[in-house]
Amino acid sequence: MKPLRAITTATIRQVLDLRRAIIFGLAATAPALVFLLTTQALVDEAALDRFLGMVVGLYFPLLVPIVALVISASALGDERRDGTLSFLVLRPIRRTAISGSKFLGALIVAAGLNTIGSAALGIVYAVETGSWDVVLPLVLGGIVASIVYVALFVPLGFFTDRAVLIGLAFVFIFENGVVSALSGLSSLSPWRIGMSMFSGLASEEVSLQLTDIGIANLSALGSTLFRTVVIAALSIAAITLVLRRRDLA
Amino acid sequence: MTSNPALVDSPTIEVDDVSKWFGQKVAVSNVTCSFGPGVTGLLGPNGAGKTTTLRMLTGLIRPSQGAIRVLGVWPRTKPSVYASIGLVPEEAAVYPAMTAREYVQYAATLSGVSDARAATDRAIDTADLDDAADRKLAGYSKGMRQRAKVAAALVGDPEILLLDEPLNGTDPVQRLHLINLFRRLGDEGRTIVVSSHILDEIERMSDRVIAIVDGRLAAAGDVAAIRSAMTDIPYRVRIETDRGRLLAARLLEESLVHGVSVDDGTLYVETDDLADLGGRVPAVAHEVDARITAFQPEDASLESVFRYLVRKR
Repeated sequence: MKPLRAITTATIRQVLDLRRAIIFGLAATAPALVFLLTTQALVDEAALDRFLGMVVGLYFPLLVPIVALVISASALGDERRDGTLSFLVLRPIRRTAISGSKFLGALIVAAGLNTIGSAALGIVYAVETGSWDVVLPLVLGGIVASIVYVALFVPLGFFTDRAVLIGLAFVFIFENGVVSALSGLSSLSPWRIGMSMFSGLASEEVSLQLTDIGIANLSALGSTLFRTVVIAALSIAAITLVLRRRDLA
Repeated sequence: MTSNPALVDSPTIEVDDVSKWFGQKVAVSNVTCSFGPGVTGLLGPNGAGKTTTLRMLTGLIRPSQGAIRVLGVWPRTKPSVYASIGLVPEEAAVYPAMTAREYVQYAATLSGVSDARAATDRAIDTADLDDAADRKLAGYSKGMRQRAKVAAALVGDPEILLLDEPLNGTDPVQRLHLINLFRRLGDEGRTIVVSSHILDEIERMSDRVIAIVDGRLAAAGDVAAIRSAMTDIPYRVRIETDRGRLLAARLLEESLVHGVSVDDGTLYVETDDLADLGGRVPAVAHEVDARITAFQPEDASLESVFRYLVRKR
C-alpha cells in the first residue's frame, strides 16, 4: 500500500501545481457564478431551465472535459517527457500499482476540481430555489464523467505530446459536434455518460426537462455505472500492458 | 577462469549476443560481455551505444536480439529484481517540485525500504547533500541533481548500480567525491557500471573497461591490459613551431616518424618511439632553422587507446 499511496500523492502534487489550482479552481466556479448573476428574480421553473442550461451548456461539455484533459494528460505524459518514468518503473513494484496509482492521482485532482464546480452550481441553485435534491446527482455525474475522461486521457498523455490538442479535438469536434448531431452515438461521449448518471439520480422533473432541451438517449443508471467501471479498468489494464511491453526510454 | 576479457568469472549481469536497432538504425550490435563485483567503465564516444546498453541492462528497453540476465533473470519479467538495482540516468529524471529529501524518500518508499526516513538520511549523507537536502530540486545545479540521483539510486542499498555519465555537470570537488564513492562501493563487492566519454575519469574510477564503438564491443579488460595488448599503437605528439610545413617535410624523412599532419601551424607527429623522437626533433628543428615552442605527447591516458580503437574501426 505504501508505494501506491506514495505514487498517488506524488501524482497529485505533479499535476496540480499552485498555478493550475488557482486557474482551475476559479474556472470551476464559473458556471455557478454565471447562474447566480443571471437567475435572480426568476421563478422556479425558469430557474431550473437556467440551471440545466448551465449543466448542459457549460459544466458537462466544457468544464469537466477540459479540467480532466489537462490534468490527466500530464499524469504519465510528464513522467515520460521529464525522464522520470525510469525512476518509477525501475522499482520492485507491480506495473498495475504504477498504472493504478497514476490513474487514481489524476482522478482525485480532476474529480476534485470538477466537484468544486458541480457543488458550487448545485448549492447556488438550491439556495435560490430551495431544491437541494439536484446537488448530489450533479456531483456524482461530474465524478463519473471525470472517471471516463481520465481513463481516456491518461493513456493518451503517455502516447503523445499532443494529447491536449487531440483531446480538445475529441471534445469539441466529436463530442460537441458529431455526437450532438447524431444522438445515437451518445454512449460514446464521456460527458453524456456523466449526464446519464445525473439524469438517473435526479428527479423526474429534471429528466423530463433534459429531454425537452434535447439531451436524449441517455443510458440507464446501472448501465452507466457498469460502463464507467469497465472503461476505467480497461484504461488501467492498457497502461499496465504498455509499461510491461513497450520500450520506456 | 574465463579467457575472454569481456567476460567475468562470477557475473551479476550477463549480456549474450545482444543487438538493438531502432528502425533502420543499429544502436548496439552483437555485444557479448558480463559484469561482476567492482567498478567497470563503459567507455565510448557520444552515440556509441552506451546509454542504449545501460537501458537494456535495466530492462527499460528490450534487446532486438540476444538475451540479458541481471542476477539470473531478465528484469522486465521479474520486477522484484529492481530491489537490487539502482540506476542513475543521464537525463534530468528528477521531480523539480520535490526537495532532494522528498525525492530520495520517494525512491526509498518505492524500493520497499523498511525505514525509509533513516535510509534517506544515510543516502543523502553518502551523496554529500546534507546542506541542500531541503531545497527544491528545481533550484539545483546539474551537478547537485546528479548527486540527488545518486542518493536516490543508493537508498535501496542495491547490489548493482548502473550510472550513465554520472559526473556530467559536477565540479572538481563533487567529481572527486563521487569517484571515491563509486570506488568504495565497488570495493564493498557491488557491481558498479559507469558509462562515460570522459576518459581520464573512467581511468580513475574503473578496474575494468568495456569499450563500445559504433554499437560494437571494441575492447575489454583492464586499462593496462588493453594498453599493452595494442603494442602497435602509435604515439601522437603535438609540436608547436614557427616553421610548421618545413619541419613537417623534414620530419617525414625520419624513419621513426610514421606520419605528420599540420593543422593551423601545429604539427601532429605519429611515432612508435617517443623517446627517440624527443631526442631527434631538436636536431631536425635546428637543421631547418625552426623554433620549437611546445612538444607535447598526446598519448598519456586512455584517450589514446580510445582514439586508436575508433580509428582502427
